[in-house]
Amino acid sequence: MVNNTRVKRGTVGVFSAVFLTAALAGCGSSTQASGSKTVKLVFATQGLGTEAQATAQAVKEFEKLHPHIHVQIETLSASSNSAYQTLVTDLNSGSATPDVITSDVIWPPTFAAAKWIMPLNQFHPNMSKFYPGMVKAGEYQGKLYAIPWFINVEGLYYRTNLVKTPPRTFTQLAADARAAMAKNPKLIGLAFEGNKYEGAVTVFQDVSGGFGGSFLNSKGQPVLNSPQNIRALTWLDNAIKSGLSPKAVTGWEEGNVQQAFLSGGAVFATNWPYLYPLAEQKGSKVANQVGFVPTPVQGGKPTASLGGDDLVINKNTKYPKQAWELVKFLTSAKTMTQRALISGDPPARTDAYTPSLLKKAPWFKQEEAVYADATPRPVTPLYPRISARIQEALSATYSGQLTPKQALDQAQKAVQAIVSGHGG
Amino acid sequence: MAAKLATKSPDQLTQRRPGASYLARRRRVGYLLVMPAIIALALVAIYPLIYNLVLSSRFDVATEPGTQHFVGLQNYHSLMTDPAFWGDLLHTGIFVVISVTLEFVAGMILALVVNRKFRARGLVRASILIPWAIPTAVSALLWKMFFDIRSGFVDFALKSLHLPGAQAVWFNSPILAWVPIILSDMWKNTPFIALLLLAGLQTIPQEIYESAKIDGASAWQSFWSLTLPLLRPAILVALIFRTLSAMLVFDTIFVMTGGGPGRSTEVIAYYNWYKYMVSLNFGYGAAVAVVITILALLLAAIYVRILRQREGFVT
Repeated sequence: MVNNTRVKRGTVGVFSAVFLTAALAGCGSSTQASGSKTVKLVFATQGLGTEAQATAQAVKEFEKLHPHIHVQIETLSASSNSAYQTLVTDLNSGSATPDVITSDVIWPPTFAAAKWIMPLNQFHPNMSKFYPGMVKAGEYQGKLYAIPWFINVEGLYYRTNLVKTPPRTFTQLAADARAAMAKNPKLIGLAFEGNKYEGAVTVFQDVSGGFGGSFLNSKGQPVLNSPQNIRALTWLDNAIKSGLSPKAVTGWEEGNVQQAFLSGGAVFATNWPYLYPLAEQKGSKVANQVGFVPTPVQGGKPTASLGGDDLVINKNTKYPKQAWELVKFLTSAKTMTQRALISGDPPARTDAYTPSLLKKAPWFKQEEAVYADATPRPVTPLYPRISARIQEALSATYSGQLTPKQALDQAQKAVQAIVSGHGG
Repeated sequence: MAAKLATKSPDQLTQRRPGASYLARRRRVGYLLVMPAIIALALVAIYPLIYNLVLSSRFDVATEPGTQHFVGLQNYHSLMTDPAFWGDLLHTGIFVVISVTLEFVAGMILALVVNRKFRARGLVRASILIPWAIPTAVSALLWKMFFDIRSGFVDFALKSLHLPGAQAVWFNSPILAWVPIILSDMWKNTPFIALLLLAGLQTIPQEIYESAKIDGASAWQSFWSLTLPLLRPAILVALIFRTLSAMLVFDTIFVMTGGGPGRSTEVIAYYNWYKYMVSLNFGYGAAVAVVITILALLLAAIYVRILRQREGFVT
């Protein structure tokens, strides 16, 4: 059966391909003009500063090894949201480029369900050295669609000079923070991400897991309004209402939390590993006073939300073999170690933590302990929609529009409709 | 408008003067000349519109490939029965009324001021346009920072003046969150209205005011019975443009609140973005886009009807 919309979309795809080809030809790269069998791959990636530098260096070395593959780096917006939109537009048009794509760890199931990216099992990747939680996040319906590039886990930063031992429970965390605040009333007890965005969901997942809750059960059904989740959200909400966290956290993202913690103004902070080297660098106000642990536990298990980036391959690429070569090279232990040294991105495989890396960046040792508790967000193509409902619930609670129970009841209903295919 | 006039006048001329093959040729040249514009318009406006209409009658969700099919008006039905859509529409309506009213009043005052003769008028005229030249996302981010409790000046200013609102976390209140949103929108768009009104003001000859003065009219009277009526075409254009773009407000909200807290600042353009980009439900998203287009056309028609002068106006 001929599908009208698909045909039309195909036409659009052809148009954009023609335009793109014309545009690329206009760029006039010397390799194309030579007429040899040089293949040109487009690698869409995010990252600025040292991250871009690390990518550029890795690509240069790859090209040296594979003289017949030329890699053009296409830098996507640094904002995860805009990068996602660019990719959705590109991939949905059926375009053959970008060939290789950097994907946030939560995107592969959606891309795979839409049949925009290809399963990678055909290349027989060896995944034994990668962190299993991250590998799992790249699987969809039993097939592997994404290779981890670097890992990220959210944990609890604390000030070793203000808190002797990291808190084991949430009650203890609050008590420790209060004790420090009693000595210095200017201190923030807990700085966390409370703005209406993805970062608030990962914090909630950390706390929820610690209380024994989760977003979906093992059958994929939502359990958002479980007593554990209500307890977790009540704890976070109380942190704001009782002054443990300033009201301003309701608008905070990672950058604001970073600012509060690095200025020495916070006892505890939830954030990602990137903060560690910044805290330990020369001139830092909190150098040698920083610890990084999984969030505490109160009836549940330590939960560190998994972030990080994967590499995926466009299903319509003209050069799947070459694209795989690039992915394999970028996710090799050697390249990952090099990236960690240049940009501080934590390698996603255990064998990349070489003694020389640990010597130069000793904080990776503490971080590795947190990776053990890495917990992916629900691995489902519906995740973006589920997350939006959770964001709404958190924001409605923090702003006092709903109680934690009301907000989670509402989210539960909405997510049930999404999962059963009747809404969202 | 201009295109219509250009095609009409040769027509009228041919009727009046028979046997004018020269005019027929001229008319053909006229059509040829407007052709590129029409083709461009068809490509960028009409084609997407039709494509969207077709798409809106289909079930088309990216994460469920191979299941696309015709569903008729199903998407529209779901849309009309979705309370979230009506809530967002209400927010949009309130935002449009408040922001356009404030911007219009402020723009009018600004236009009247810079229409007077004073030193450095050119400099002032140029400088009021600066906010308008700044991208919306940037100005939204700027205003978000102004209202930040730690680094913004709003909190500091209110505190030093002992005014209420200091220590308020603006973006954490379903009502207060609108204040920075509307201020940011005003800051950016008032100059646009002022510019259009200023252009209108300059077409009004000075002599009318002089004779009104001789007849004993006060400044207020001459504004009310001379300036406003004569400014009607400019007002119409300014209001249509502003109302429609306020109805489609997206960047400001996306950057400042993401529709929060809860969903209290969500607007229809945000709803549309969500359906396309988060749900990846292209059929439903297209239906939302079509409804927004219809609403926009309706609004424009109402404006033209209310503000059209009996003898018609010249644009």
